[in-house]
Amino acid sequence: MTTATATVKRAVYDLPLVARAPDESSAVAADGPLLLHHAEWFCKLRWLVVVAMLALALVASLTGDWLLQYGIRLQASWPLGVAGALVLANVAYLAMLRVVRNSPNLTVAADRCLWLQILVDLAVLTAVVHFLGSVETVAPLMVLFHIVLVCIFFSSVQSLAVTGIALAMYVLCVALESSGILQAQSVWASFSPAARSELPDAVLAAHVFAVAFISLTIWFLASRLAGALRQRDAELAATNRRLMAATDERARHMLQTTHQLKAPFAAIHANTQVLLGGFCGKIPHDALQVIGKIANRCEMLSGEIKAMLQLANLRSNAQDPPKPTTIELHELLRTSLTAMEPLAAKRGIRFVENIASATIRGVHDHIVMMIDNILSNAVAYSFDGQQVSVACQVKPSGGAIVTVEDSGIGIPTTKLPLIFDDYYHTAEAVKQNKASTGLGLAIVRQVAMADKVGVRVESAPQQGTLFTLDFPACWGEPIRLT
Amino acid sequence: MAYVLIVDDDTDFAEAVSTLLKSHGNETAVEADAEKAVDRIRERRPDAVILDVMFPENDTAGFEVARAIRRNFGSLPVVLLTAVNNTFPLGFSNKDRDGAWLPVAEFMEKPVDLNRLCEKIAGLVGK
Repeated sequence: MTTATATVKRAVYDLPLVARAPDESSAVAADGPLLLHHAEWFCKLRWLVVVAMLALALVASLTGDWLLQYGIRLQASWPLGVAGALVLANVAYLAMLRVVRNSPNLTVAADRCLWLQILVDLAVLTAVVHFLGSVETVAPLMVLFHIVLVCIFFSSVQSLAVTGIALAMYVLCVALESSGILQAQSVWASFSPAARSELPDAVLAAHVFAVAFISLTIWFLASRLAGALRQRDAELAATNRRLMAATDERARHMLQTTHQLKAPFAAIHANTQVLLGGFCGKIPHDALQVIGKIANRCEMLSGEIKAMLQLANLRSNAQDPPKPTTIELHELLRTSLTAMEPLAAKRGIRFVENIASATIRGVHDHIVMMIDNILSNAVAYSFDGQQVSVACQVKPSGGAIVTVEDSGIGIPTTKLPLIFDDYYHTAEAVKQNKASTGLGLAIVRQVAMADKVGVRVESAPQQGTLFTLDFPACWGEPIRLT
Repeated sequence: MAYVLIVDDDTDFAEAVSTLLKSHGNETAVEADAEKAVDRIRERRPDAVILDVMFPENDTAGFEVARAIRRNFGSLPVVLLTAVNNTFPLGFSNKDRDGAWLPVAEFMEKPVDLNRLCEKIAGLVGK
């Protein structure tokens, strides 16, 4: 990269690439992928429970006798059993999820897999509650964890169903223990199955009722809260979609209006060419000069309308961008330079090229617009007889860096963040280039955001301007200007 | 001498193109109605057609005429002219944007350099 002999330090400005607004597809995510994501998330969570159970088994085997003096009788067998059951279940689920992922009806398959996981988890949880002590400890309240989770992920009806199933399993556990079919267990050393059988039924009923009451209260609060959050989320997504639609509509309206303006100018331009070409007979010299001025203004206006059309179109398809293709950047640069040469030659400006072969991914028309605008600015804001340096280098990590440097009027430091705004001109720019549309760099910004091209401007008044364009190796790769 | 049919609802523009083509020794005719373009070609087959894309009744009538010309008249060269260029079309599909797919010999954006247009026509007719 060449550098101008600058006596004033250039200010540097990196164009911030504003993140795109969330698109429609993510706002209204399909049920299937979402359910699949939940199912996968539950599997990951289950591995943590397996680790916790194994840790509990280890503690029990290492400190069993020591814990007895504190009134706790912890056995290693049941945590190991639970961990083993969960490992088998998780392996089965993961195999099932591989099938579900390729299922033609993803939503139904993922939903079934998820409900199977919930039912098995609740059964395992009931077993854990049984071993810890279904009445003697607060273990039954572990179900609250499940209730809150399902409230977050599912509708209130579905979460109520899960709460109901969990409570039913708990009631069944207590009932089996009370009837003697299942021997009651507890981690308390003082506990004995005989003591449980002596508990009056009313006490058991009160205990079960308390667990049910707490569970249902938590379900009610959590489901209301989650429901409100979901509704707010849906409202925000709907508002976002409406805003996008309004922006799109505005851009289309702009597109249509500018098109309507462009057509008459094309007719005026064509007729001035007929007159200037002498195809309507001899025209006095003064009149020809006037027609020449009309033709020039017509071309300027057409240029401005074209820039407005480009900008409107870039904004209108921001949500549905054209597909990127492979671009030979060096060829694109040379084509743009060739097109720009006659304009530069008129003012004695020449291009100094150092262009290496580079291939990038991007939308061809976008990149052409970006390069054309930056090159035409370099020419427009150079002083007569100066040179404009254009370089293209391949980045070691892939992608390419393009630099366009002039030694022209430059940009005041305080104005740098404003130059990418629509219709913004510095006072110096207006003096230098009366034909400016004020939209060129707005188009550059729009392309930079759409195609994720890093843009850096380094400039100082009367010292010239250096534009650095950082093209990523892959489409959509984050920009890192170094 | 070639006979060129100009199909454009903007008669001011069409007449300017016609004047310049005539000055280069061509014969021209102007048709402002896209729907009548194919009949007009049947009446007298031109050597080339200059065709606008947007017409008051249909934003993409020019594309339909271009396809009809390809179907009915094979290799008759068509130069598509529009105030909306092929890069920034108005409501056209991605398929329409593909210059290679359009059944036209040239695609030029308005405002067009009339001398360049005349050269294009001369090149196409001379083929």
